[in-house]
Amino acid sequence: MVERADTILYLDGVSVAFDGFKAIRNLSFVLKRGEMRAIIGPNGAGKTTMMDIVTGKTRPDEGDVFFNGTVDLTRHDEADIATLGIGRKFQKPTVFESLTVEDNLSLALAAPRDVFSVLFARGSAKRAKRIDEILETIRLGHRRWHLAANLSHGQKQWLEIGMLLAQNPKLLLVDEPVAGMTDAETEETARLLREISATHSVVVVEHDMHFVRELDVKVTCLHEGSVLSEGSLDHVSSDQRVIEVYLGR
Amino acid sequence: MISGYLARNGLESRIIATIVLILAAGIAVPVSNLVLDPLHPLHVPTYIVALLGKYLTYALLALALDLVWGFCGILSLGHGAFFALGGYAMGMYLMRQIGTRGVYGDPVMPDFMVFLNWKELPWYWYGFDQFWFAIVMVALVPGVIAFVFGWFAFRSRVTGVYLSIITQAMTYALMLAFFRNDMGFGGNNGLTDFKDILGFDVQADTTRAGLFAASAAALAIGVIVTARITGSHFGKLMIASRDGESRARFLGYRPEMVKLFAFTVSAVMAGVAGALYVPQVGIINPGEFAPANSIEVVVWTAVGGRGTIIGPIIGALLVNGGKSWFTGVLPEYWLFALGGLFVFVTLFLPKGIVGTFQAHIGRGREKRKANRAEDAQTPSGAEVSPVGAE
Amino acid sequence: MRPSASQSSPKSCDQTMRLAGPLTFAIAVFLSLASLAQSQEKPLLEIVNSFSDVRDFAQTEEIVAELGATGDPAVVPVLRALSEGDLHVRKSDNQVFIVSGRGKTLMIMDPLSGEMVGEEAKRALSKIRVNNGLRRLIRDTIGGLALASPDPAARLRAARTLIANPDASSLPAIEAALEKEADADVADGMMRARAAAILVSDRPDAEKSEAITAVAEIGTQDALSLLLGFRGQAEGDLREQVDRAIARVERVQSYWSMAQNVWYGLSLGSVLLLAAIGLAITFGVMGVINMAHGEMVMIGAYVTFVVQEVIRLNAPWLFDWSLAMALPLAFLVAGAVGYALERGVIRFLYGRPLETLLATWGVSLILQQAVRTIFGPTNREVGSPSWMSGAFEIGQLTITWNRLYIVLFALAVFALLLFVLNRTSFGLQMRAVTQNRRMAAAMGIRTPRVDAMTFALGSGVAGLAGVALSQIDNVSPNLGQGYIIDSFMVVVFGGVGNLWGTFVGALTLGIANKFLEPYAGAVLGKIFVLVFIILFIQKRPRGLFALKGRAAEA
Repeated sequence: MVERADTILYLDGVSVAFDGFKAIRNLSFVLKRGEMRAIIGPNGAGKTTMMDIVTGKTRPDEGDVFFNGTVDLTRHDEADIATLGIGRKFQKPTVFESLTVEDNLSLALAAPRDVFSVLFARGSAKRAKRIDEILETIRLGHRRWHLAANLSHGQKQWLEIGMLLAQNPKLLLVDEPVAGMTDAETEETARLLREISATHSVVVVEHDMHFVRELDVKVTCLHEGSVLSEGSLDHVSSDQRVIEVYLGR
Repeated sequence: MISGYLARNGLESRIIATIVLILAAGIAVPVSNLVLDPLHPLHVPTYIVALLGKYLTYALLALALDLVWGFCGILSLGHGAFFALGGYAMGMYLMRQIGTRGVYGDPVMPDFMVFLNWKELPWYWYGFDQFWFAIVMVALVPGVIAFVFGWFAFRSRVTGVYLSIITQAMTYALMLAFFRNDMGFGGNNGLTDFKDILGFDVQADTTRAGLFAASAAALAIGVIVTARITGSHFGKLMIASRDGESRARFLGYRPEMVKLFAFTVSAVMAGVAGALYVPQVGIINPGEFAPANSIEVVVWTAVGGRGTIIGPIIGALLVNGGKSWFTGVLPEYWLFALGGLFVFVTLFLPKGIVGTFQAHIGRGREKRKANRAEDAQTPSGAEVSPVGAE
Repeated sequence: MRPSASQSSPKSCDQTMRLAGPLTFAIAVFLSLASLAQSQEKPLLEIVNSFSDVRDFAQTEEIVAELGATGDPAVVPVLRALSEGDLHVRKSDNQVFIVSGRGKTLMIMDPLSGEMVGEEAKRALSKIRVNNGLRRLIRDTIGGLALASPDPAARLRAARTLIANPDASSLPAIEAALEKEADADVADGMMRARAAAILVSDRPDAEKSEAITAVAEIGTQDALSLLLGFRGQAEGDLREQVDRAIARVERVQSYWSMAQNVWYGLSLGSVLLLAAIGLAITFGVMGVINMAHGEMVMIGAYVTFVVQEVIRLNAPWLFDWSLAMALPLAFLVAGAVGYALERGVIRFLYGRPLETLLATWGVSLILQQAVRTIFGPTNREVGSPSWMSGAFEIGQLTITWNRLYIVLFALAVFALLLFVLNRTSFGLQMRAVTQNRRMAAAMGIRTPRVDAMTFALGSGVAGLAGVALSQIDNVSPNLGQGYIIDSFMVVVFGGVGNLWGTFVGALTLGIANKFLEPYAGAVLGKIFVLVFIILFIQKRPRGLFALKGRAAEA
């Protein structure tokens, strides 16, 4: 068993129910610092709910949720948790459609978040340089002045990942990043995530087994709100129960 | 000189032109009224000065609403309440200036209190004999009420139509409250029969001209404040909170605080507008709290173009000009026209006059930056589908 | 079960006596003949004629008491005429007559038989004068006399009158009547009247002690004031007993007043339910903010007005059926307007709730002004059918028929809507479109048609509400404005997308409002309710019956 102090994310015995339906039951999940983990599982396995719990959107009925070994996430709300260093990418790409790509990134850049700091904030060369770097990483330099609404689906996904990077989080939660992407875009995204994982802890939820294989990381399979199997992709995909509930024979 | 100062502060040329225009009107109209011979073709009669002055306060109210609706996506159906609260604060000052000239000649208490057999001035009327105190209250009362209301509403994440409905309930509740004689604000009749303001007769031409100039100045300041807020990094955050509240939250921002700030600033602006409105029309009564009034402000803003700074001003002037004309010529058709305007604007002109105009030819800003030719859309409001719902 | 309007009136005595007139009169004639035949006592007419010698009010009082002591109902018309100043003496022969008419010549009638005797110049008559003290005495005497009435209902009413106006002097009459009484209910009433009279008499304490218990059992406001009055003179044990009795009556009173509040609350709640339930469909089920909803209610009310006008002009005998005829018409007219509104405006605005709100507000202004142009700005008279007027009592509760029918009607409309939504194929399609528009469309449901019909249904129900509200509210172009905010409050409070939420919300708010009113007054009570809802929405932004989890965000 891993010591809690060494983990970036530590869930133990977490349960949550919506109107009697147990979305998460007694879930335990541990992520070490600097690790990238892929989560797979059928619809309704609790993947998104787990992310909701970690990011403070949903409060667990019971169980411990710790970030960085010491911070009890159940005591914080979304904005707090984001400031603590957890970035989240939604299943459906969510960017600020009526702002430009640059403004999207500029809002995501790490800086004081309270109303009056923002009100009197001034642009700086350092911020501009950081935005340049991120645009480079997510390959959207040529769309800098475009409204986010006019990006393609894949580009929005990348912009959102770029916004996560701009936040400079310790942990990234990435929900289905390649849904609706072409094969080329999928490979590009896998490369991008591997690049990010060199410097960040990452949790990726994904259905696309090809993409998960590309990531080449430890895999956790969720089913009915708890962990069904965990290990290398080969180990998990040969697990009889996983085959039964998820992969199919 | 003014324009140079404003430009250095990073305001767009269009905004600067607007401010200069407002200030020019603020000087020209009173001067024409006071200096020119009444038969001179450019002479502005006093009643027109009062009417235009009223429109300017409406324009400020519409601008205040635009700050929350156009930029934050909060459709407040209660801004008439903040306007009326500011108006009442000013009305209380004006009532206490009447002094012994009232019907009952009581040196301290307004006539309606004497009439109701009250023995002494209620505590909340203290201080209103001082102009500075009244001015502080004009800003403070709507500001505090908006802050408290917004604190609860935004923190509980009451959004969209729910928020609109409870703001409407708020103004409705205030209306019922102010209709009560026991509240001590003159009940049904409200506050009226004002004599003078700062020692000047409220009926005098010079006072009316002065109030017009003050309204123009207040509107100009309102434009500057709105432009500075929306043009800053904070303005982008407002739009971000409007279009992607939960995204903003997961980036570590607190959209509720962004909204609360904008809502409070906006309420103060509305209160100032109300305070300038009351001495120009000579009365404030609970009818100003009527939900219908607040909704009418929304249509001014919608007609002009929400999410723009010039739009609500143009909208307020146009719709109220139209109202004055209609009620003079075809009084029974005014409500048909107003109702039709609501439907027409929402169906065919969702960006309003200015928004539509900008979308067609106003691409100057974009041209300054490279590579933007294909983006024809300007931020157009809350109809962008809400994000974050999974 | 429905008693006539007159019986239920709390002002009972005068009115009932007047209505019972012909009967009493016939009996009076019979009895007076009978008593004349027995004739050991002074004949009635002789006593009546003794009014001719009175010098002062004290003498008149004596004669009234003497008449009362005969226990003969025949003297009732005489006493009433005396009280009303219609008893006159003919100066020429000192005969006493009841007079009627105005002017110089009056009609004169025999005081006992009531038969017309002829005419007499006003100058030839002199009025027997009475004062207020005498009028009270007369009233009480008549009350006592009615105890001898052969009609049990009249006797019971007399007993009740005596409870309300107890008088020690009526004790013998009550006790006499009690002895003869066969009807258990009436006897019970008389026992109570006797107890009430004992409390104001100088009977011994033991009897008074029993009386306190009996009076306490009555439990009405009258009983309470009687006990409170008695408390002043009570001493020792009696004082303690009366204090306990007062406490007990006050408790009973508080239960009844609570029941009354609940009833008023239910009544208000049912009005809110009627006004809000159509909105619950358009707002709750479809997510459409229809600010013109109040105008649909108004249209329903005006349809009722038009139906009644047509009936008044062409077929007045159908008036009692006017509401029944107005209901389907109001549903159709309001539904058609709603259908047109959906097709013409709202369908272009789906997914833009704030714009819908503004556009429908514009439509509401147009509808209001249209009605104002057609029907004028003033209130229109909408009558109530006879079966809806009047009231009845349960214990100390007064319930008016129109309120009761509105409560029942609201429940019926609610039940019908539940049925339509849950048990018909249209309801199924409607719910399908609400929950997943694209999937519903993919399964072959014509979603635009379902949208339009749903909106028409919601508007039609508002029209039905208008028919009911025309019975209790002013029918004017502003009718709808008065309900729109309350309706939104109900729907938002109850929880969107849930008819039961609307039901519970409406009744809760109605009852809360009525319970606050006695303490805060109507306006302040309403303000409190509004503030409460504003705070409540912040606590539970999705209302009382909210969906949780994924479904809530879909």
